[in-house]
Amino acid sequence: MSLRVMLSTLRRQRLLPALVLLQVAVACAILCNVLFLLWHQLQPMVAPSGVDERGLILIDQLSGDRVWTAPEVRATEAMLRAVPGVRAATAADGLPMVTAEIYVLGLQGPSGAKAGVNAYVGEGLGQLLGVKLVAGRLFSPADYRDEGAKWGVPEPIVITRALARRLFGAASALGQLLHRPDALQGPGYQVVGVVDHLLRNQLGWAVDGKADNTVLLPERVGATPSMSFAVRVDPDHQALAMREIGKAIAAHFADAMQAGMTPQVGSFADRRDAAFRSRRAAAWLFFAVATTVLAVTVIGIMGLTGFWVQRRTRQIGIRRALGARRSQVLREFMLENALIVGAGALLGMALGYAGNLWLMRFYELQRLPWEWLPVGAVAMLLVGQLSAIVPAREAARVPPVVATRSV
Amino acid sequence: MLMYYLGLARRSLRRSPVLTGLMVLAISLGIGASMTMITVLHVMTDDPLPGRSAQLYTPHLDPLPLDYKRHEGSPDPADDLTWPDAMALLKAHRAVRQAAMSGGSLLLRPARADLHPIYVSGRYATAEFFPMFGVPFERGGGWSAADDATGSPVLVLADALARKLFGTSDAVGQTVRLGEHDFRVIGVTADWAPKPLFYADQTGTQYSDADLFFLPLSVAMDQKFPVSGNQSAWGKGRSPSLTSANMSWLQFWAQLDTPAQVAAYRQYLVDYSAQQKALGRFQRPPRNAKLYGLMGWLAHENLVPGDVDLQLWLALGFLFVCMLNIVALLLAKFLRRGGEISVRRALGARRRDIFVQFGIESALIGVAGGVLGLGIAQLGLWSIRQRPDDYARLAQMDLSMLLGTVVLAVLASVLAGLLPAWRACRVQPALQLKGG
Repeated sequence: MSLRVMLSTLRRQRLLPALVLLQVAVACAILCNVLFLLWHQLQPMVAPSGVDERGLILIDQLSGDRVWTAPEVRATEAMLRAVPGVRAATAADGLPMVTAEIYVLGLQGPSGAKAGVNAYVGEGLGQLLGVKLVAGRLFSPADYRDEGAKWGVPEPIVITRALARRLFGAASALGQLLHRPDALQGPGYQVVGVVDHLLRNQLGWAVDGKADNTVLLPERVGATPSMSFAVRVDPDHQALAMREIGKAIAAHFADAMQAGMTPQVGSFADRRDAAFRSRRAAAWLFFAVATTVLAVTVIGIMGLTGFWVQRRTRQIGIRRALGARRSQVLREFMLENALIVGAGALLGMALGYAGNLWLMRFYELQRLPWEWLPVGAVAMLLVGQLSAIVPAREAARVPPVVATRSV
Repeated sequence: MLMYYLGLARRSLRRSPVLTGLMVLAISLGIGASMTMITVLHVMTDDPLPGRSAQLYTPHLDPLPLDYKRHEGSPDPADDLTWPDAMALLKAHRAVRQAAMSGGSLLLRPARADLHPIYVSGRYATAEFFPMFGVPFERGGGWSAADDATGSPVLVLADALARKLFGTSDAVGQTVRLGEHDFRVIGVTADWAPKPLFYADQTGTQYSDADLFFLPLSVAMDQKFPVSGNQSAWGKGRSPSLTSANMSWLQFWAQLDTPAQVAAYRQYLVDYSAQQKALGRFQRPPRNAKLYGLMGWLAHENLVPGDVDLQLWLALGFLFVCMLNIVALLLAKFLRRGGEISVRRALGARRRDIFVQFGIESALIGVAGGVLGLGIAQLGLWSIRQRPDDYARLAQMDLSMLLGTVVLAVLASVLAGLLPAWRACRVQPALQLKGG
């Protein structure tokens, strides 16, 4: 049957195909948006952390009833290093997956490209985290100065590959200077090394290629109201080491700790789990919405195609009697479905984009990138074809003898 | 006649159980999803102080320098008041009642040996806090303006904390050690925790917090008690203290009973700002001073998280898909019965009768979908309560929401049945009979 004939059939019975089309359009619009939101939640969760996760223990919220002095911080580092199983420990300001303390920095490259980054600071922190260097070097002990010290000369900085591309384009980042946008005349920062990945700890911003907006700075943590540490332990005895660290902290601080505050000691995996809890819940919700939208669409299309087939049983029988093959009948129904659902999906793409723009006027919402539109449309087409298979096969089974009966 | 139609509808639905099941499932999914989100929004946009909220206002000044630039995502310093401004507004006493307040978390060392020291969060406030917000008391009462002035170490406990510390015995008159100071309990509030905690600093978790104690702001200042919430400082100079004119941290509420009082207070705020500008303290236009009503303040602070709003839109869109789905399925179902319709029409049924008959059939599907949707909505609310978000545990359905669900379901399916029923009643009896 030619396309022209098929279209004229559809024209004669307009209402039902129009309803399917409308339903597919709205479902497709919702699906595009929900899939995009789902991806937005998933992005930070699938971004590589860039650190050696096994055997990494993170400690934070070690708060006293006053500000800890720098010697107290050094003493705590020494105490942690002495715990059996600990290979290295350093006080840090800003740690991956630790969202309670955040060090934010604005950076501007020579071309004027800007990036808001999270800094991780602490003596030997890069080596301890186990970041993968792709160019240059990490800091040497001579590089470090106390946090808050005046530099006067460009401060060395280690950035990530993604950040280097954003700030310097194709040019090599090594040796280049970066400035804070509010201190363009100052000495700024000089890139000494580039690492493969390092996930920022403002996880809500770790989307749209900004997951690796992270830098390392050669600063030693000094006086602080709340201490954080990164500890590297024997990965085979991580649980044991963690217990020992907990005991050592309790013994070391005894009653110097602020009552009611419990220091958080957790493996990287624990911290990751906690940091993503809310995000995971949201992702599940969006996933559930996406699947129910698809399920309802399947219900609708199946029911209607079934009705369609039943209505046209006589017509199919005549066509079969006139020599149409089963495969032709099957193909015809599938094609018809693809035509209706395809038109609905096209309309849905426009609707989804418009809906997103409209919602953006009222809510802090990301613009729906146009690449997401075909994703929803293709999903709709596939679902449409899948749900048409059963009724279409039923149509193909209609025997030619039906033509001779009156229904 | 109604019973006859109901019987017909039941018979017709039972004839095609799969199609009926699908329709009920579709409408219940749509209803369940949208009612889940509507319920969450309903509990979150509820009036925190019914009956009083219309008289409560919060004044806001703009003491920021002209060149002050707010960082993206950081709170607006002008949302809170500085100590000098709050004290000036208190002293001027232009409202019926007014109070300045701030949150704080203090270490409580219970006298009972079996209780460990705990951190409790509460509020430092001035005397009119209690009559203004209409805080109900189980025993005793609040403190007086004289207590504020002299800095008396008096304390009001929330009933939960009083029960924890003193069991069933009377807490009033007892001594409680907060921080390093002894306080005399003068009142115990009855169960009182507005949701959201509208008068608290907006950086907190306002849906899960409640104040466990209240003590005079002057005492907190004298004893240098720690203050929780946002403290925004601006300008250059030495590090700001709580009494600095360039650090905002206090919340302020006023009770204004008549529109005239509201207008007068608004004018007073502008005049005060103009005066401060003349003194060189404020730099921005005095018209920046604002007076928000309680519900207006909640809207300004946008306490409903964006994701809840967004999920509501998604759910409503989803309900729309489900309704379209049902329109199509019902249409298919009704049109299939052309023969039956034409026989009935030929036997004298009016178009209206056919219309009512099919309308009842769709309503029946709606009732079934509503009941199932209620279950799905409960499941959805349960899953929201499992979420770690601040508002999650509020997600409960009340009676009005329960009824609303069923009404919405019936309404949606009757609405969805309109077009198919109309199409069905236009069937030409003669044509169908011949064709059959």
